Amino acid sequence: MESLNPRIRLLWVAQAGIFAVVLGVVLAGVDRQFYSLPTAVLVGVVGLIFLLGAVYAVRLYAKWRFELQDDALYLERGVITFVETAVPFVRVQHVDTQFGPIERALGLSSVVIYTAGSRNADVRVPGLTPERARKLQDTLRDLAVESEADDAV
Amino acid sequence: MNRLHPLSAVMMGIGRGISGLFFAFVIATVLAAVFEVVSGLVALLVPAGFFVGFAYGVAYYYRFSYELTPDTFDIASGVISRRDREIPFRRVQNVDVKQGVLYRLFGLAVVNVESAGGGSTEAVLNFVSEGEARRLQREIRRRTTESKSRRTTNGTDVTAARGVDEGDAETDDLEEPPEDAEADLELDEGGGHGADERDYRPTRLFSLESKELLLYSFASFRIAAAAGVIFLALFALEPILEFLVAVSQPLGGPETLEAGTPRSYVILTAVSIAHGIVLAYLLSAGFTFVSYYGFRLGRIEEDLVYERGLLQNYSGSIPIEKVQSVTVTDNPLQRLIGYAGMWVETAGYGPDSGGGSQSAVPLARKGRVYAFTERFTGLEKPAFERPTTVARRRYLARYSIVATVVVAVAFGVSLVTALESWYFAALAYLLVPPAAHLRWVNLGYYVGENHLVVRRGFWNRRTTVIPYYRIQTVNTRRSIFQRRLGLASLVVDTASSRSFSAPTPTIYDVDLEVAREVHGECREHLQAALAERSVSPIYDRSAEPDAPEHDSDLPG
Repeated sequence: MESLNPRIRLLWVAQAGIFAVVLGVVLAGVDRQFYSLPTAVLVGVVGLIFLLGAVYAVRLYAKWRFELQDDALYLERGVITFVETAVPFVRVQHVDTQFGPIERALGLSSVVIYTAGSRNADVRVPGLTPERARKLQDTLRDLAVESEADDAV
Repeated sequence: MNRLHPLSAVMMGIGRGISGLFFAFVIATVLAAVFEVVSGLVALLVPAGFFVGFAYGVAYYYRFSYELTPDTFDIASGVISRRDREIPFRRVQNVDVKQGVLYRLFGLAVVNVESAGGGSTEAVLNFVSEGEARRLQREIRRRTTESKSRRTTNGTDVTAARGVDEGDAETDDLEEPPEDAEADLELDEGGGHGADERDYRPTRLFSLESKELLLYSFASFRIAAAAGVIFLALFALEPILEFLVAVSQPLGGPETLEAGTPRSYVILTAVSIAHGIVLAYLLSAGFTFVSYYGFRLGRIEEDLVYERGLLQNYSGSIPIEKVQSVTVTDNPLQRLIGYAGMWVETAGYGPDSGGGSQSAVPLARKGRVYAFTERFTGLEKPAFERPTTVARRRYLARYSIVATVVVAVAFGVSLVTALESWYFAALAYLLVPPAAHLRWVNLGYYVGENHLVVRRGFWNRRTTVIPYYRIQTVNTRRSIFQRRLGLASLVVDTASSRSFSAPTPTIYDVDLEVAREVHGECREHLQAALAERSVSPIYDRSAEPDAPEHDSDLPG
């Protein structure tokens, strides 16, 4: 089983931070316009949200695992709901590598695997180095082509 | 190259003309208000808007063409920006023909061609003549079969839905002996029809009798009907309110809408809700009756064909190969009278359910529906297993929380209003044990030889049969509550379109080991089925008398 790159924690913590800041701005707006809140409550809420987000990020990293098995890509993830997913190679429609601005700054990349399914139609493996992402994409593509079946939809 | 029906040019012209008119009217009004130009501008712009819209509509008609090529269905459309679309027949999910009341009067029809991609119907021909619609439906079906058989001889494809073929000889068992004179479909087959015509006459699999239609209308409930009632209420609020006040008065309702005690308002509310429910039920029954009137399901070669509708006529065909899963549904009322319905799911978008779910048997005796489902899918008789009682305990806890919330809300309401007997809400706890039990008792799963069967739901119980080779992904999910109890839910995804009313098949709250085991079995069975399917064409060919010498040519 392979874990994600540890730097992914930074990304998730940063996302929690952004969320907390946005929430802070909204709360400040409410404070100004509608209903005045004590500053301690405001700071406390924002701080707590950030803390929860950071703990969540660390826990999520600890839980995330994936593996290329004989017949399928196998993933385990989730803090509140723990999900084990198997994506059979035959069912892979196409594979993307993607990265956003923060991911790029951290030197990270995601692989997104699309199936024809209705739920989890796209499965994302975040927190990979660009080389690893590229390699995973190539492997998945090869495996998908190798095991091609034509009966899906 | 074919065009739509000439009348559609007129319709499109008028339609676009009216939108052009409105657009011009809005623009002119805004301009007149902002720049204070003479009001003559409105008089000038509005007809111009209509004219431009009309011209666009007519131009759209002339620029819209479709064609059946040997392999694809092509549509070229667009006045200003052009779009050429080719839909390979092998990718066609279903072909639907829809006829509204007016359309039937003028012999017109709308044809929808669905493929799996995209978020909407891929090809809409609005509209063509009835005869052309029928020709298209038939031709698309024929060419789909042809292009498939071309591939099969190439050795790359395999026979569709094996189970169906096995059950073929006896599929029409579901069909009761035709008693009535209009039991036509296969009876007059020997008549004066050419051989070519005869190929396209369906073998009838099921037709909905009057009794079943009535039962179906009154023993099913459409949530959409509630929306209809709300719409009606908004439409005629005043007279409805007057009526409700008048009806509730003898029962202790308020004299007028303004003057009333809290008690009388409660009575008024109760009376209103009762009326709303009855009305919604009647609307739902009426809608079901009208839309499923004359339902018939048949089979032509490798396609299912159906037809239904009293005012609006729907007909369509679904390649059996494209069927992803089959679901038997029943609600408590239907279970009580021993009836059930059956739906087939494809990856396309169906005409009325949003998702790609098509009614194959609206309602019939339970035994017939299950027997038909088993034959259709090639499923052996399922022996359902149920999650352990730990799951039931979980629902007990879950519903207790819901009941507590109800009581808390009632208490909260009593604080701010004159409601006094809030503690009656505690009666909700009485419902908790039966609710938990009913949810649990209606759960089930069966790991079959070639299929996984998943059953869940009390109000709308769904028993879904999923062939292993249709599985897309397998997920084992455990929430924090489930982890505490050592339970897991197994979500088995197929390519059938997701819809709100039919969530992804899930085996709920089984023991973790069981979930893991079924998870593994699904994957193994999928691989085995795929291997079998990729091998079988070679096997089939060698079974032919002249095939063996070609065997060596085939790639391993």
